[in-house]
Amino acid sequence: MDALISYLVNVISLGGTYALLALGLAVIFSVLGLINFAHGELMTLTGYVLLAGILTGQPFWLAVFVAVIAGGISAALMEFAAFRPVRNASGATLLMTSFAVSMLLQVLFQNGISPRGQAVPVPTWLTTSLSIGNSQISKVQIMSITVGVLALLALKFFFDRSYWGWAIRAAADDFEIVGLMGVKASRLISFAFLLSGLLAGVAGVLWVIQRGSVDPLMGFKPVLAAFIVAVIGGLGSLTGAVAGGFILSAIEIALQTWLPPNVMPYRDAITYTIVVIILSIFPNGIFGKRTQEKV
Amino acid sequence: MSNTLLTTTDLSISYGAVKAVRGSNLEVKEGEVVALLGPNGAGKSSTLRAIVGLIKSQGAVNFAGQDITGAPTERIVSLGLSLVPEGRRLFPHLTVRENLMLGAPRKAKSDDLFDDLLNRLPILRERLQQVSGTLSGGEQQQVAIARALMSRPKLLLIDEPSLGLAPTIVDAVYQLLSDLRKTGLAMVIVEQEVMRVLKFADRAYAMSTGEIALEGLAADLRTSDEVKKVYLGGAE
Repeated sequence: MDALISYLVNVISLGGTYALLALGLAVIFSVLGLINFAHGELMTLTGYVLLAGILTGQPFWLAVFVAVIAGGISAALMEFAAFRPVRNASGATLLMTSFAVSMLLQVLFQNGISPRGQAVPVPTWLTTSLSIGNSQISKVQIMSITVGVLALLALKFFFDRSYWGWAIRAAADDFEIVGLMGVKASRLISFAFLLSGLLAGVAGVLWVIQRGSVDPLMGFKPVLAAFIVAVIGGLGSLTGAVAGGFILSAIEIALQTWLPPNVMPYRDAITYTIVVIILSIFPNGIFGKRTQEKV
Repeated sequence: MSNTLLTTTDLSISYGAVKAVRGSNLEVKEGEVVALLGPNGAGKSSTLRAIVGLIKSQGAVNFAGQDITGAPTERIVSLGLSLVPEGRRLFPHLTVRENLMLGAPRKAKSDDLFDDLLNRLPILRERLQQVSGTLSGGEQQQVAIARALMSRPKLLLIDEPSLGLAPTIVDAVYQLLSDLRKTGLAMVIVEQEVMRVLKFADRAYAMSTGEIALEGLAADLRTSDEVKKVYLGGAE
């Protein structure tokens, strides 16, 4: 029972972060057909802004707030400076641009700040644990679950109730026709980047607080996981991004928890084998677009 | 009724080296229903898509006294031109209600129009919360037309309204178009069912391999031997 509680806590905590990251990727994919590999660097940037806020003695909540906003604004600037000039170019050009932006930011972090990791001192009240039954759950995890779930609920509300939420969901279905609805394409794309950056910001803050440090290459692994999550869920499907986040998290944590020690070195290989099996059953991802449409 | 609403002057459209439309001149007057006929590949859909700015074209397009050549689609829509695209192109994962609401400009007060459309199309009222990808073809066509009306157009361009629909459903769609015509809405209809649309329209243009081959009053074209030969294999 305790093992199960601790398992579920870990799955929801990691899955929520994966879901937020994958949603950020899915939102951009919906409007541009691009997997933005510079998404991870937005997380890293958020981490450094959070660190700067804490080191300059700002209240923790203010540092977090500014860090998340910085993620959103940076994403909008990234779109304006890097992606807008090549918007009508091929998908390969857009992808290369995203790699270029990613590497540029990594080098800037390495040379401008430090190639080594920086410890992020989180407030002491976050470092303690609560006991539920016999299992210990850290407050960081409780915060991570709360923030992750609240952010997903807020997004659901936004996507279901607001004009821009409908527009982004519509773009995921058929971007060309969104223009016919009178929606200005460039404004929708800017808005999608802003939203995606805010999501990277929330995920970045959660990631940094859990690890307790930030380094220039920090964003690579989670964004790769988020890419896999988006593919499992079905590229461009927003529901799929959330479902995929919890599926990948459930697989990873299960292997981490129950794999015998002598098999543990093969954990990632086993994870990706399961991913391949899922994709062989659902080639377009679990919530992917059906290729046949009703006439 | 006699003011010109839309003109295209020497409109040409190319896909790479292929010229899909060559120098077409169209005119639509206020409140007028115009049919655009032609076999597959004649350039009818391309013409409609170019008018609303979805594809690039050469030549000039003028709408309601304004030059809209090369203007972005959202601006053209805001001036009062709306397209019901071929194959409906609803957002399949959005509900009927969301599809319709997205058709209205963001800050517009659309409640009255929304109610009016649902009164015209009572079946949609029952389907408002249904995801539009699960509707039947006829229902989808009704939603597509209603969605295009949410921007309060002066001119509605409709691409193949009867494509893939059963004859009784086609009757219902044309009944809706007939009701809309009474409100003074001008329409350009691209249609494969030549005789049906010629009975409905005021005037018609017939395109062939990217050029306008024939134009005239719909009533005249209906009895024209040339139309019968090209579209009906010589038989009425």
